[in-house]
Amino acid sequence: MDTTPSPSQPPLKPLTPQEWETLIDDHHHGGHRLHRWISSNYTSQPLFDLSLSSLLRKDLPLSLKLLISSFLEQHVTSLSPIPFIHQNLIHLLDTLRHVINSPIDPVTITYSLKEQLLISTTSIFIIFTINNNNNNNNSDNVKLSFVSELEGLIEVLLTIVNRTGYGLDRQLRGVACECLRELERECPGLLSETVGVKELRRVMSFLLEWPQYLTTFGLFEFMSVVMPVAVALELQASLLKVQFSGLLFTSDMLLCHAYLGMYLQFPEAFSGHENEVVRRVLLISREAQNALVFRLLALHWLLGFMGLVMSKTEVDKERIFGTALQFYPTVFDPLALKALKLDLIVYCSVMLDKSRLADANGEMDSNVGSSKGSVVKLFEDALESVSGFKWLPSWSTETSVAFRTFHKLLIGESSHSESGSSTRDLVESTIFHATERMLVTMTLESRGLIPVMAAFINRLLRCHKHRFLGEQLLQTFDNHLLPKVKVDYRLGSYFPLFGKIAENVTVPPGGLLDLLGKYMSILVEKHGLDTGLRSWSQGSKVLVLCRTLLMHHQSSRIFLGLSRLLAFTCLHFPDLEVRDNARIYLRMLLCVPGNKLRHLLSAEDQLPSSHSTPFFTVQSPRFSYDPKKSKDISSYIHLERVVPLLVKQSWSLSLASFNINGEKPNYMEVITDSNTPLWQPETPEENPESPSIPALEGPNQSQEPLRVTDSKVSEIVEVLRKHFSLIPDFRHMPGIKIGIQCTLRFESEPFNRVWGNKGSAELDLLHPALYATVLKFSSSAPFGSIQPYRIPFLLGGPTKNKIPSGQSQSDSLDIVPVNNGIVDEEKEEESFNARVLIELQPKEPTPGLVDVSIEANAENGQIISGQLQSITVGIEDMFLKALVPDDIHHDEIPGYYASLFSALWEACSSSSSTGREMFLLKGGKGFTAINGTRSVKFLEVSATSLIQAVEKNLSAFVVNVIGDELVNIVKDGGILSETTWNNDEASGSGLDVVAVDQYMTEGPLYLKYDEEEDEKGSNLHINKRNMGRFHILIFLPPTSHLLFQMEVGVNSTLVRIRTDHWPCLAYIDDYLEALFLS
Amino acid sequence: MNSSCSIRALWILNNQDTVLFSRRFPVVERRWNVAVNRANERCKGDQGFIVLPSSFPTDSEIAAAFTERKKREGSALGYGIRAKQSVEGSDSWVDDPIMRHILSLHVKKEENGEDYTFWPLILHAKVQYYILVLPLVEPEHLKAYNTLCRRSDCGNGVGVDGNLSSLLLQLPCITGAFMVAHVLGDIITSDIPEPEVVVSAGPSVGGLLDSLTGSIGISARPKPVAPPVAASTNSTAIGGGSLASDAPKTGPRNLDKDALRSFISTAMPFGTPLDLNYSNITAIRTNGFSPADVAPVDSKQPAWKPYLYKGKQRLLFTIHEIVNAAMYDRDEIPDSISVLGQVNCRAELEGLPDVLFPLTGLDSKRIEILSFHPCAQVPEQGGGDKQAVMFSPPLSNFVLLRYQAPCSIGVPVKGFYQLSMVSENEGAFLFKLSLMEGYKAPLTMEFCTVNMPFPRRKVISFEGTPSIGTVSYTKHSVEWKIIPSGRGVGAKSIEATFPGTVKFAPWKGQSSDDSGSVQGGDEDSDTEIEQGNSMVNVEEYLVEKMNKHLPAVDLEEPFCWHAYNYAKVSFKMAGTSLAGMMIDTKSVNIFPSVKVPVEYSTQVHSGDYILWNTLGKCPVAATPAN
Repeated sequence: MDTTPSPSQPPLKPLTPQEWETLIDDHHHGGHRLHRWISSNYTSQPLFDLSLSSLLRKDLPLSLKLLISSFLEQHVTSLSPIPFIHQNLIHLLDTLRHVINSPIDPVTITYSLKEQLLISTTSIFIIFTINNNNNNNNSDNVKLSFVSELEGLIEVLLTIVNRTGYGLDRQLRGVACECLRELERECPGLLSETVGVKELRRVMSFLLEWPQYLTTFGLFEFMSVVMPVAVALELQASLLKVQFSGLLFTSDMLLCHAYLGMYLQFPEAFSGHENEVVRRVLLISREAQNALVFRLLALHWLLGFMGLVMSKTEVDKERIFGTALQFYPTVFDPLALKALKLDLIVYCSVMLDKSRLADANGEMDSNVGSSKGSVVKLFEDALESVSGFKWLPSWSTETSVAFRTFHKLLIGESSHSESGSSTRDLVESTIFHATERMLVTMTLESRGLIPVMAAFINRLLRCHKHRFLGEQLLQTFDNHLLPKVKVDYRLGSYFPLFGKIAENVTVPPGGLLDLLGKYMSILVEKHGLDTGLRSWSQGSKVLVLCRTLLMHHQSSRIFLGLSRLLAFTCLHFPDLEVRDNARIYLRMLLCVPGNKLRHLLSAEDQLPSSHSTPFFTVQSPRFSYDPKKSKDISSYIHLERVVPLLVKQSWSLSLASFNINGEKPNYMEVITDSNTPLWQPETPEENPESPSIPALEGPNQSQEPLRVTDSKVSEIVEVLRKHFSLIPDFRHMPGIKIGIQCTLRFESEPFNRVWGNKGSAELDLLHPALYATVLKFSSSAPFGSIQPYRIPFLLGGPTKNKIPSGQSQSDSLDIVPVNNGIVDEEKEEESFNARVLIELQPKEPTPGLVDVSIEANAENGQIISGQLQSITVGIEDMFLKALVPDDIHHDEIPGYYASLFSALWEACSSSSSTGREMFLLKGGKGFTAINGTRSVKFLEVSATSLIQAVEKNLSAFVVNVIGDELVNIVKDGGILSETTWNNDEASGSGLDVVAVDQYMTEGPLYLKYDEEEDEKGSNLHINKRNMGRFHILIFLPPTSHLLFQMEVGVNSTLVRIRTDHWPCLAYIDDYLEALFLS
Repeated sequence: MNSSCSIRALWILNNQDTVLFSRRFPVVERRWNVAVNRANERCKGDQGFIVLPSSFPTDSEIAAAFTERKKREGSALGYGIRAKQSVEGSDSWVDDPIMRHILSLHVKKEENGEDYTFWPLILHAKVQYYILVLPLVEPEHLKAYNTLCRRSDCGNGVGVDGNLSSLLLQLPCITGAFMVAHVLGDIITSDIPEPEVVVSAGPSVGGLLDSLTGSIGISARPKPVAPPVAASTNSTAIGGGSLASDAPKTGPRNLDKDALRSFISTAMPFGTPLDLNYSNITAIRTNGFSPADVAPVDSKQPAWKPYLYKGKQRLLFTIHEIVNAAMYDRDEIPDSISVLGQVNCRAELEGLPDVLFPLTGLDSKRIEILSFHPCAQVPEQGGGDKQAVMFSPPLSNFVLLRYQAPCSIGVPVKGFYQLSMVSENEGAFLFKLSLMEGYKAPLTMEFCTVNMPFPRRKVISFEGTPSIGTVSYTKHSVEWKIIPSGRGVGAKSIEATFPGTVKFAPWKGQSSDDSGSVQGGDEDSDTEIEQGNSMVNVEEYLVEKMNKHLPAVDLEEPFCWHAYNYAKVSFKMAGTSLAGMMIDTKSVNIFPSVKVPVEYSTQVHSGDYILWNTLGKCPVAATPAN
């Protein structure tokens, strides 16, 4: 823009009224419409000159002149370049003088024109002559320029004002006064010489006496002038109070506001009137005649006012409560109004709750109980007014209002700016708990609200200050909603919420995984012809949640549950795509270490780029095997028996003749894609760990030759045939298995030393873990092929004995945030140990060593592989109870065992008449014969300790207890069950089977006599050398037996041993000695 | 507290986002810039937020900013409370319903491309116009607002420091700007609300100008419309949900800019309002002062009474009441009925007299006075029965006082409305009403109509004959005229029943009738109810089905009307106040004492008088126990 046009430039061509209007419109509009005026020079100084001259033209209509005058005023800064200001002001003042002094005529010079020109001129003078100097700190430093012109203007104005006694132009005089007032306002003190102090006092006292004669805005303006003066002079506020108290009762909103302003200026003078003010302002909000926005404003004032007043004064609970009741929305209140009324109720609730807490901290308040109830009821009732949100669509305005209120309820009065600790207290508040309850109930009842709820929680989660509230809510949902939701197709609608739960690390994922598992099995169950699409959709959604879990949780936390769920899905889910995806996730979970896994999943939307670590750079596990590192793993990875052996066997006798092994050597299995999934769902019918006890097959079809036997022998043979027919023939079918319980654990510290990856996160170093561990077993002993055992995940434990306890303890406590953060010593111990079951299928009952090798993945993807310490298998591991036919009733089992014992005892005698008898084994193919051997062992051990040892280690095998004394002692102990009690040695009568919990085999001892008495022997009635007998029947897989008849004496016991597998005697001697004599 | 109440600028836009009128007040703007410079000077050095001194935005810049905000906030008024679409820095981020009326605009200056935030812009939407008023605040208020709308946290708690409420309490200029905006809205739509005063003998009496021009003998302008007071706020309620405020509207094409300009230059010559009384300002503008208009010698003339009345003296009062009712006819929900009333006055009295208006006879426990006209001297509260209010009446019609009360005499229309969907497209209904039960003369009911709106269904036919009155139907409603207008009946009890059926066109999900956008329609088919035998009730099924397409209502609505079935009763009564408001004309005293006739009349209108379908859902609100 050309700012310095030549003054000699020829004046612009005058414009028609239409052109003028367009010009003014275009100047207001700006932009492109302005350009053509600028290009034709209708701008800046020339336009200013043209405007002034047009004002004086007689041919232009009055309205246009008014318009031009106002236009000049609004655009003068762009119309009057700085060098021309002085000249323009002179010119303007001349024009004003000319118009003012012209007599009124109805067409060209009217009062309106005079008034407008006065206003515009004053405006322009204010802009150009009054300069606020900002350069120094005195902000009221005002500098005047063009003083003589300004004085000229003031003179014109004063002339008009002073022409009193002339009624017609009183409006003009008013305008002139207004102009003077405006000048004085912009430059305080400008007119101080004109108006005397005396006059000022007179005016003040008049106005103070008759404020009601002013217009609303006039009164407001007056008050805004008087208030600072009153404050400065420390005027008695009571004077103002008397004069202005009525303002609060007027229907004029500005006056009400003015009253509130005054109140807040003089809070002391007005104290005690708070409730009246609150009541009055509330009434304003009820005036439906008023526009809604004023009613909303009134409620805001209330909130602001209560905030200011209540923070200073003592809170009277009854009063607040009474006030809060007044805020209840009515049914026809607009939702905007309802929202703000709910705010007020929230505010009152918060105040009440706060005062309740304060009371509770100090003196116990008798009201605590009742006010607690009522606070909750207060906002529950208030929310009724928007209760439609429970069934209206989630986007309804009612819903927004309701959730806005929930938000305010939850965060209470905690602001975001302060750093106070008060936020934590929120969670303790009554309101918080009540709100939580409401939200959970609501979600259960109205599933339409779930997306809203999810968004709501998200809002809290994203807030730096209230994140914990969101987490708290998620935990509440996890604890209270998950157990209550009905698992059916409708569960899908909860997924937005579940997504939030899955994302959040503070919520233990167990509950969710459990629920999803149930849901998946229901999807599988309900799958039919017409549900294909639905199964696919719901299954995919579950997988999305799984993915979310994978992304946001440490693999360690979710491993077990998630792997089970995924395995079940890829095994059983009807939809192929879902199965495939589940398999992919499962493999990722198993094979890809945590950090990389999360990275992979989160980068799903992006193409692999050079700077990221994409899928391709994940090292394939096969290449990261480092034999050097694997050398000494047995020093920190331990596989140990749960129950240690009694005899530390160092040798074993293996007889080739017994090793009937037609099987190929076993190769270790490798996980490949074609493999069946690793993890079976825990459905009872498919549990592979439960031993399969073969059922008795039909009538006995033995094809033995006829033989003449006496009745006793035939009875024995009958019993034995029945018995052997139960024993599976391991040569033709799976034999009987024995299980050895072990635990696998490893020490973190040495593990990290060897396997720690310096690049990986510190967190992972603290939590070394073994993934997808496979334990493989081999043995030179005739134990058959031993199935490898797989441990999906194992966390490293603290290195015992080495680190001083204090430090290490706290370290290890930090490690695993499992189990909802509850650090339970035992549980933690548990989480560092994996149970391992070694299942042997002995071809021969013999002790032996089982060699163990391990393969596992470390967190960083390296393969760990190597030998662990061998596991020793003792003879006692072979001890099994004899099988019982299905048709034997539970009550009859002791009897059956007793007769079986007798039969075997008889059959194993060297002179047995059953010697040549062949017994058909189960499966109908193989036979076995009994070739008995006898032995005797004398134990010098007291009866007490013998009985204890029997009860502890052999109780399951005792089939008969004979002799009053022994029976009485043992019965009192209550350990033995499934045993025949023979009180009278001779008759075997008095059978009395005590039904004790049959599973209780390893309990503590309950023998009731105390040691002291025992030593003295005073109370024991010992009249015989022999107190009684134990008959003990042990089945030794695959087909043999071991029988003990213990003749218990007070100080020694004679054990008569019979077996149909003589090599075992070699170990039995050691065993008995270890059992009874050590 | 900011003590001034000044306006920096105002704009009037139409619904095409074009600026039709604008006015800038350079003196106020200068004050703003001085304040900004001062504030920036203060926070120079520390990390404080610097407010840019701004030059006025041009009309096109304002229009662009307004359009941009409209896009961002979904509509001209905006979401108000924080919605899914809300973003940081927007008004709805502040999460308060009043943000629909107090806007911020982000103006991009054309010359340098810089962004300026303007706040608080008072928005008043009237017919097809949007009036924006920018009052002067302190720079720190703008800063405070910026903090509110840009904070990245979850939103403000109640009663904490620095919240919107305390900001609004500190800023009377916002209140004043709203008053300005409303007056401007009235002027541009020529809809100047003049409280209606009815004389028993004839029609209603107009305002100041009529009395002035009448006495002078010239007719200066068309007689102002005197609509039933408060009707404008209530009558829009019915079916208002679908009435999107941004829909194109018809109205006067050109607004009377001259009238606006002359009003502004008198009412707020420099941007600081002096008086907003349109009647007075117009009278002065039109008539000026004559030599006859001399100030009284013995007393001071108030600023709000530029002229004194001359002529035959009389004093007129009209009690005007609106009845709102939610009739449930259910045991568990009490019916609620309330009366909102006002006493309108017109004092044709010479000189500057005071009038003593007795409040005796008012059952103060029942009738609660909400507010008084500023000309009244408010009596001390709690003064018992012997109360009176003294006022010095202005020249035009005015509202002396407003009150609210429960219904003191019988319920004007009571009974029930039952509607049951017998099939998807057919509903059987039954009305059983009794009107004016126990009412006594001189009360009359001028008309009474019952309307059953079905905004979301198309009515094809209905069957049934009422026991009284006539029935007609339109596309979306059935109307039962129990007492047609023009045939008013006196106070006698009327029983009216109306059984019938109404048939609808098959319901289509998102037919063209469904105005308003349906958000969140991405409902998954999985989450649908397992249909078939589980859905026994056709009604529930229908509700479920139709609710999926319910549009959200504006915050100005009390609830989602479309979600409910109801009948709305409209009536007008005259003769008695339902609240029991009485005026004892003999006790009205005038000082200095003069005998003038005092007349009063009473009118009762129905507001939201709703009979909820007894068999369906209904909105409720709890009432406090005590």
